[in-house]
Amino acid sequence: MLKDIIIYLGLALIGLGGLSDLIASIGMHRFKNFYLRLHATTVGTIWGAVFPIIGASLIAFVYDELGSYRYLMGGAGLVTSLIILLLAPAGSHALARAVHRSRIVKVSPCIHDELDPELCGDKI
Amino acid sequence: MDLVQTTILIFLPLFLTSIVLYLIRAVKGPTIGDQILAIDSLTYDLAALLVILGLFFREPILIVTAIPLALWIYSLDIYIAKYLEKREMGE
Repeated sequence: MLKDIIIYLGLALIGLGGLSDLIASIGMHRFKNFYLRLHATTVGTIWGAVFPIIGASLIAFVYDELGSYRYLMGGAGLVTSLIILLLAPAGSHALARAVHRSRIVKVSPCIHDELDPELCGDKI
Repeated sequence: MDLVQTTILIFLPLFLTSIVLYLIRAVKGPTIGDQILAIDSLTYDLAALLVILGLFFREPILIVTAIPLALWIYSLDIYIAKYLEKREMGE
């Protein structure tokens, strides 16, 4: 009974992750410039990578066909999801800061840019 | 094939389609920031796909490949960010 509930929960998380990945990759093409594409990356990393790995780990704990290594798969999967949850926002924040400071991409649409007023692109 | 393998087989095309779309953006991105951002998303999706494939093929040892991928892409982010700010690679 409990095994069935955990398997259905894990499969639902994997399906949610696949759907979010598709949405994020479409958004990667629909958004216009770099700063707007950071939104799509957020959807693709947290919803599209952390939740499917948690779901797969939950399934691996109760899935008997995996053999004696299934606890290794579950535990290492949880550690991987924690690593991604911590490192993905830090990496994309460092990248956004570097791109803004090296003046590659203009901020657009822009109301007011206090850090660097020359970088303000076309106004709203 | 039981319930888990059948359902994962239904969900696999979503991941594969998104990987192809990320790859297109990684090749033709206008600036280097877009390319690194697309490779970033692509690698995290690849890590998730490897865990799910480990469940599909019943090979638990495939989980070992997911952790170095997650760590490698973070180091790539930091290296590119440092290069863009200082115009030099870190020691």
